[in-house]
Amino acid sequence: MRLHIDYHDQPSLRGFQKRIKLFYFLLIFLFAGLTFRLIYLQIIQGNELYAFSEKNLLKEIRVQAPRGIIYDRDQNPLVENLPNFALTLSPQFVQDLDALTKELEKIIGMSQKEIKQHIKKRMILNGPYRPVIVKNFLSRGEIIQIELLKIEYQGINIEELIFRHYIQDALLAHVLGYTGEVSARELPRLQEKKGLDIQQGDIIGKRGLEEKFNIYLQGDNGTSFVKVDAKGQQKLSDSISFLGHIEDINAVPGLNVDTTLDLDLQKAGYEAFVKHERQGTLVAINKQGEILALVNYPSFDPNLFSKGITVKEWSALINNPSKPLRNRAIQDHHPPGSTFKPIVALASLQEEKLRENTLVYAPSTFRFGRRTYHDHTRTGQGYITVAQAIEMSSNVFFYKQGLELGVDTIAKYAKALGIGKRTGIDLLGEVPGLMPTTEWKKERIGEPWQAGENLSTAIGQGFVLTTPIQLASAYMAIGNGGKVYRPHIVKRVYDNNNNTVLSVSPELVKDLSDKTKPYYISEETLKVVRKGLYRVANGERGTARWAKIPNFEIAGKTGTAQVRGFSASEIYQSCPKRPFAQRHHGWYVAFGPYEEPEMTVLVLTEHSCSSSKSVPIVKDFFQEYVKKYHPQLVTQKEESKK
Amino acid sequence: MNYTALQVTRKNFFTRLNLYLIFSIFSINVIGLLNLYSATTNIASHLQNVFNTQIMWLGIGWVFFMIISLIDYRIFVRLAPVLYILNIIALIAVMFIGKTSYGAQRWIDLGFFRYQPSETMKLAIILMLSRVLVRYNTERGLGFKDLIIPAIVLLIPFALTVKQPDLGTALLIVMIGGAMILAMKVKRRVIIAGVLMAVIAGPLAWQFGLKPYQKNRVLTFLYPNKDPRGTGYNSIQARIAVGSGQLLGKGFQKGTQSQLEFLPEKHTDFIFCVLSEEHGFLGGMATLGLFAILLIAALQCSFLAKDMTGALLGVGVFAMVLFHVFVNIGMVIGLLPIVGVPLPLISYGGSSNLSMMIALGWASSVYYHKDMF
Repeated sequence: MRLHIDYHDQPSLRGFQKRIKLFYFLLIFLFAGLTFRLIYLQIIQGNELYAFSEKNLLKEIRVQAPRGIIYDRDQNPLVENLPNFALTLSPQFVQDLDALTKELEKIIGMSQKEIKQHIKKRMILNGPYRPVIVKNFLSRGEIIQIELLKIEYQGINIEELIFRHYIQDALLAHVLGYTGEVSARELPRLQEKKGLDIQQGDIIGKRGLEEKFNIYLQGDNGTSFVKVDAKGQQKLSDSISFLGHIEDINAVPGLNVDTTLDLDLQKAGYEAFVKHERQGTLVAINKQGEILALVNYPSFDPNLFSKGITVKEWSALINNPSKPLRNRAIQDHHPPGSTFKPIVALASLQEEKLRENTLVYAPSTFRFGRRTYHDHTRTGQGYITVAQAIEMSSNVFFYKQGLELGVDTIAKYAKALGIGKRTGIDLLGEVPGLMPTTEWKKERIGEPWQAGENLSTAIGQGFVLTTPIQLASAYMAIGNGGKVYRPHIVKRVYDNNNNTVLSVSPELVKDLSDKTKPYYISEETLKVVRKGLYRVANGERGTARWAKIPNFEIAGKTGTAQVRGFSASEIYQSCPKRPFAQRHHGWYVAFGPYEEPEMTVLVLTEHSCSSSKSVPIVKDFFQEYVKKYHPQLVTQKEESKK
Repeated sequence: MNYTALQVTRKNFFTRLNLYLIFSIFSINVIGLLNLYSATTNIASHLQNVFNTQIMWLGIGWVFFMIISLIDYRIFVRLAPVLYILNIIALIAVMFIGKTSYGAQRWIDLGFFRYQPSETMKLAIILMLSRVLVRYNTERGLGFKDLIIPAIVLLIPFALTVKQPDLGTALLIVMIGGAMILAMKVKRRVIIAGVLMAVIAGPLAWQFGLKPYQKNRVLTFLYPNKDPRGTGYNSIQARIAVGSGQLLGKGFQKGTQSQLEFLPEKHTDFIFCVLSEEHGFLGGMATLGLFAILLIAALQCSFLAKDMTGALLGVGVFAMVLFHVFVNIGMVIGLLPIVGVPLPLISYGGSSNLSMMIALGWASSVYYHKDMF
């Protein structure tokens, strides 16, 4: 029990209690405002708004913009946009799903169970309010039947969509990439980080040029305002126009892209892999870094993604042991093997450890420290010059150069040629490869550089890793006088009125002929090495001499990328007997014509055991090149035959 | 000695509680839950968990409310500087580690829930101002000098929430603070200066302070048909939903606008649409009536407070609820531009409902302790 005493006689509190009336007035004032507004909306305008909500709801429909077209260097289109009449189903408007799917089963040739499962899956993926595409490419007959079905059932519709058709199917899958509906996971990244106007359900580029150049190719999706009734059915009447007239926002088509690709050469390269039954990659670049062909084999059909890939098809692709989704030319790196030797030769000549005519003794084995290092032949080559060493791919010759130079000097020139660095090709996902240095090893592995490692580095084994595109670019530089260009595929981006939006010109990354640079390589040095490369393809003991092209001289270098290290005896014997995944890869990289190289072609055949499996693919490719770009040389051949 | 001073009253736990307050909060909770159920549990909805989560949060809110009612509010006021500073730190942290939604950085992911520092900031400001303003409690009234510290207390969180940008919360902070200052005796010239400043600051903020999307919201509020694609679309659809409810509404789970995909954020900021469409003018007025009871009860707590601190705390809570209700409903029915402010105790949301229940707990505590020393 307590005394209840009125303490509110404190002067300040009394003043406060007077002022508190202000807040009652504020409360009455604000709530009166809300009440009047509610009366206005619900009582005065209520009838009109009720009718509007019942009969004419405005629905925003996204209008897909046609994506830009991608062309090859001869203006052949590589993709096209086809009209696609698709059956869509809006789950929230469907009243009797069982009955509806039963009817659909009769029309579209999918079982009721399949249709239901598909709808359920898409709803989980996209939420309940996105119409689900049940079937693409409806035939005329199906369209008529579905239109009839629409009278009885709500929630189904036929929408005119755009189908992104990759005309060449699997041929250019890794370069062009593919398109698909933006996923819930990608959406926030694209909207917030990149500030793109992308909504759920929009089609975006995934992988390849479609992804890299998506902002140009995509165009601006439009919006169409459709009046629908409360059940989502489209209404044509315009009787009540509470909203006034709302203009549709037209879709703006995407920009077109011209590429440096040559469709004929691309086909030749791809078919060569098929013909010779090899898997791997081919890269062809011209002397200014334009990519003429970029082949990956095996490949995949990007049209699968345009259609909406099924789980089964997708898992077949990702579980395929030969990895058809990989862009091997830029995403894989391997030891360059003997293809690295010419780069070491450049270093030796430029550093004056060698002259053109210096003879070096190259036996079959080389003892260094406590280890014996082997040549790939059992006889060795005797006294040879640098050009001969390249021709016969002598290991011992280059072991000696490696010891003389040391890894850091080799790295100076190799890095200048772009080894161990991303080339900056206009595709996503390129890996950098690796060019080791003494400093690198100390930092990354924590151990000092061993002198013996100079030997393995000199023949492109050990730590060195190159991507096919890197190696092709380096050889092009050797061929064209020391100019390293950034490889690129896209030449020009332009709108439908042919106004150029983006124009890509050759970008000189490094100029090795620049005397002021520490990595300067003289034209004389390059000439000596080119002579060696010439002998590889044309000399008596050249490792690729058996694949000459009539009237067109090429120069190049073969190499073997070891998948893993082997003992000496295994090097000679057992590669073809090993399990497929453990066999060596074969390199061949060549440029031509020898006198004034226009193009460098690199082929990597995976698990082929030998570079000799890559050589015929390069040959086939060059023959197609000659046929197309130097037809007079082909006719000469025929004349000489007569 | 007068008669009242001699009166002896028997007091127990229940008679000490402000039962009007408790009754109105509970009723609003019930309305809110019914409404949320309607908005989120139809067949095609992807918001199936929302209802259960909301029940959990309200339950937690009630536990907080009851415990806080029994604790002397002066303890909280004493802790105000610590809470205030911690909250400022959280607001700064949200800029760096915060998650974005709708282009603004607003919450920190704590694993079990998303903490929105701007929600608790309102609470910290109410406590902090209750503490600070009491010092200037004189008969002569607050002058310019006396307002320097309260102004700083308001300006720091205001600037930080503007930066997020969360314009709704920033304005609420100013309105709550303004109401608490006006509860004190303020010199007339200060009030005139304040009004003048607001008049001048408005156009300046428009010119330099607002982001394009914020300007857009104001413009579409003024001219809804200009941008029917963006926010104009939302506010038009919201108005159709509310208006089509007419006097009695379309009935529980029968709102065509609410049940279909026409309403954005229908379970959070636009929840009043669902209520108005399905339960009409009467449903809306009943809800407003309950809010009025709640607000009057809060003022009663303030009026009967035993000291100025409690009185100020009560006014702060009153202002917080009042402005939330007014800004939210005003936005939904097209009286105000669209800003992200939830409807107290009805909108879905952990942070906002919990902080609302904590604030109401303080008002309740002021009332509970009005006779104790």
